[in-house]
Amino acid sequence: MDKKTIVYICTGCGIGDAVNVDQLKEVVDEDFSLPCKDHPFLCGPEGLAMLKQDMESEGVNTFVLAACSGRVNYDVFNLGPEAIVERVNLREQVAWSMPPQDEDTQMLAEDNLRIACAKVKDTKLPEAFKAEEEYAKDILVVGGGLAGLTAALETAKAGYNAVLVEKEATLGGWLARNKKRITMPYKELTDTGIEDLVSAVTGNPKIKVYTSASVEKVEGGPGLFSVAIKADGNAVTERIGAIVQANGWVPYDANKLGHLGYGKFKDVVTNVEFELMAAGGKIARPSDGKEVKNTLFIQCAGSRDPEHLPYCSSVCCMVSLKQATYLKEQDPEAVNYILYKDMRTVGQAEDFYRKAQNDGNIFIRGSVKEVGESGGKLFVEADDELLAERIRIEEIDLVVLAVGMVPATKPLQTPRIKAPQDAPDKDEEGMIEVQPDSGFFATPALRLAYRQGPELPTLKYGFPDSHFICFPYESRRTGIYATGCVRKPMETAKVLDDAVGAAMKAIQCCEATANGIAVHPRAGDMSYPEFNMNRCTQCKRCTEECPFGAINEDEKGNPLPNPTRCRRCGVCMGACPERIISFKNYSVPMIGNMIKAIHVPEEDEEKPRVVALICENDAYPALDMAGIKRMKWSPYVRFIPVRCLGSVNLVWVADALSRGIDGLLLFGCRHGDDYQCHFIKGSELANTRLGKVSETLDRLALESDRVKFVEVGISDYHKIPQIIDEFMETIESVGPNPYKGW
Amino acid sequence: MGKIENKGGGRPVGYNTSFAEEVFRNVDFGEEIKMCMQCGVCAASCPLSLKMDFSPRKIFTLIRAGKREEVLGSQAIMLCTSCYSCKVRCPRKIPVVDVMHGLANYALRQGFVPRKNTSVFGGEFWRQIYKLGRIDEKDLSRRYFFADGLVPGIKNSLEMMDMGLQMLLHKRMKLLPERPIKGIKALRRMLDKAEQMGKGGARA
Ligand code: SF4
Ligand code: SF4
Ligand code: SF4
Ligand code: SF4
Repeated sequence: MDKKTIVYICTGCGIGDAVNVDQLKEVVDEDFSLPCKDHPFLCGPEGLAMLKQDMESEGVNTFVLAACSGRVNYDVFNLGPEAIVERVNLREQVAWSMPPQDEDTQMLAEDNLRIACAKVKDTKLPEAFKAEEEYAKDILVVGGGLAGLTAALETAKAGYNAVLVEKEATLGGWLARNKKRITMPYKELTDTGIEDLVSAVTGNPKIKVYTSASVEKVEGGPGLFSVAIKADGNAVTERIGAIVQANGWVPYDANKLGHLGYGKFKDVVTNVEFELMAAGGKIARPSDGKEVKNTLFIQCAGSRDPEHLPYCSSVCCMVSLKQATYLKEQDPEAVNYILYKDMRTVGQAEDFYRKAQNDGNIFIRGSVKEVGESGGKLFVEADDELLAERIRIEEIDLVVLAVGMVPATKPLQTPRIKAPQDAPDKDEEGMIEVQPDSGFFATPALRLAYRQGPELPTLKYGFPDSHFICFPYESRRTGIYATGCVRKPMETAKVLDDAVGAAMKAIQCCEATANGIAVHPRAGDMSYPEFNMNRCTQCKRCTEECPFGAINEDEKGNPLPNPTRCRRCGVCMGACPERIISFKNYSVPMIGNMIKAIHVPEEDEEKPRVVALICENDAYPALDMAGIKRMKWSPYVRFIPVRCLGSVNLVWVADALSRGIDGLLLFGCRHGDDYQCHFIKGSELANTRLGKVSETLDRLALESDRVKFVEVGISDYHKIPQIIDEFMETIESVGPNPYKGW
Repeated sequence: MGKIENKGGGRPVGYNTSFAEEVFRNVDFGEEIKMCMQCGVCAASCPLSLKMDFSPRKIFTLIRAGKREEVLGSQAIMLCTSCYSCKVRCPRKIPVVDVMHGLANYALRQGFVPRKNTSVFGGEFWRQIYKLGRIDEKDLSRRYFFADGLVPGIKNSLEMMDMGLQMLLHKRMKLLPERPIKGIKALRRMLDKAEQMGKGGARA
């Protein structure tokens, strides 16, 4: 398209009082030869009418709007899919945070304009990606327990087809093997209701069910998945739009709990074994089939124990309360002891705890020291924390171990793969243990034909990764949503909500993909990375670093992008040493030119310049927030928003420093175990890459203090001015960049 | 985890529910303690918990574990001053005050005298209310101070002399003996009834 660009400056919201608008117009004219208009209230009806008028009568299709932050009024300034709109922040980051009518404030505003004008010069209008094949919108649900059944049914209710794959011969999962269930309003036990759910699913014409089935291979990407299923020995292939993984949990292996008497005494059973016995009719002593009078439940059996299962499964407390109730129902005289660390009955489930107390169950807080046998009965010794004494409970007929939940995806043994050449801890055979966050650490469930591993990457306990702070359903594989207890341990009421949520995300993904737009977090983005393959050196950085496994490889080792898997983070663009990956509206040369557009004063002017590459997701709005709160910071910093710090290409550091910029700040999200990065690995990768930047600095004979990486959360806005000012002090102490004026 | 003491000389204590059942049957509101979740809000609220050998929470735990002697012999159950802080705050709505008084009453009936002076005071208080329908401060304090004999009585009286003089000055205590209230007969019938119901207060 031929670009016709006009720059518009809004003088409202205090901008007109803070800066000299006529001078700004001169800059636009002199440096970019672009027409420039101003308006006192650009987002008001007249302002918008002016924009529309220019679009219609003069054919303007590229708008540089120098006004408020791009994070606000984006709906107001949405001028349709045919227009390029670039926002220049003159309000939050200039008028509201800098002294008015000041030389430095003016220079900042001018540079912000230059940066934007340089950007639109290189920007092209994105076109939605369109695959050659037709997009599928059916949802594959893996797992036919409560979560999977619910997800399939909700998908059907929303008008989409579901394909359900269950490994067992019958549907219903664990819940079908339960006697009763505790759920809202948590006053009494209720029936599981699973038969009704199963028949609703099997009777629904929009749901295709495969039992005794497994997923053998998943190829393609969202909208284009081709899923090979083996069902009852037959092979079938389904075309699928998005996937819900709901393959549930397994109980923690009680064979590891010998210290609690499991395996040693027949009358020590797990809560799962107890449930099966209760569902089977009568609860009796496994050793001799005699009646059960005294039962002791050991809570957190292996749970919340660094040696076993370090986390709380959040349901086993409730399960024991339920099972104690079975015993009281079977024999009102039965005595139940519940030995706990903490009773965790979250939310309204507390009501059921009260009921169990009222029923006369005996709660003891402490830890088990010994489970033993004397005279055909069991005894338990424990340290009672509330009495502060060692206690002994005798004449016990049955000990129930409340074991926790392990995600079904967690492998029994850590799998090993062939180690890359330079891996330090490989064994004699050249093999290496895979990390939980690789796609290789899992019991097969999806068998993805992805270069980056066949399963969803997991967090350290084996649960598929999810952005637990903000976006719990998201996994690291686009269009695949984990739900139910495979995602995190949860009770049945929570599972229902969770499954609906995952099904809706899957549907949303199908629709977005069919429209060629990105899903979360750049929802609606139409751009996608394009590879200039002529110059590719097959270094494989892009395939390895893409956090979403979007890039496969062909037989010759060339990267093979799957645009429908792409989240448009730009991490590949930041990774590529050849700089051949670009988006229509975001590329390495474009940002390079933006940096180059910054006017760098001569050394004797004593006005340092710092470029801050700032993550658009959290850090940039936090900076806006500091502006909204009228906080002040140095006027010498030029902020350039980036999609993710992971998209930062190191060449920009060289670009900036070789042009006399005195320092570089990188603002990104927290990384590590409780990461906040919207692209999961982006800020971590940026940090690692920055470790290598010292080479560049050495080559230029510059101090490493000139480049700094800072992690900020969305709520850290109050820290930002201080971070900036401290960095400016550092820059002052290392002195001006010797490359100024080159 | 709290520190575990080794009271029984290395032998763990047996855990039995018989005392809890005894409390449920015989103590007013005794059964309510089933609902205690050991949060400790009562202990934190109680202005006297520092003076108590066991906080209300701990008393409930001891009952559940079957520690009859410790509970019925505890100072704590006699120390409750009916401030009602615990009862108001208990998230499980246990009438902690009533349970404490019920326990004290039951302990005395079972021949435990955890705090002799408290029960002497209680006894005197009841006796005067029964006789006069009100309290004769000087008579009550005289009997309370001299309960342990002449020498401690004089010592107690001297210690409290300033307060006594202030009370006289502010007409909180009369020199002449108090007279019974109007309707004393009706009051006595009520107290007799309470006595019959086993609610005669914490007195020996
Ligand atoms: S739910 Fe209860 S038993 Fe289960 S791990 Fe948590 S605290 Fe322990
Ligand atoms: S790194 Fe980001 S932009 Fe590149 S292919 Fe992967 S998801 Fe897409
Ligand atoms: S990072 Fe760049 S050069 Fe390396 S394989 Fe990917 S596209 Fe090719
Ligand atoms: S406040 Fe109530 S629930 Fe909490 S310890 Fe006291 S009696 Fe128990």
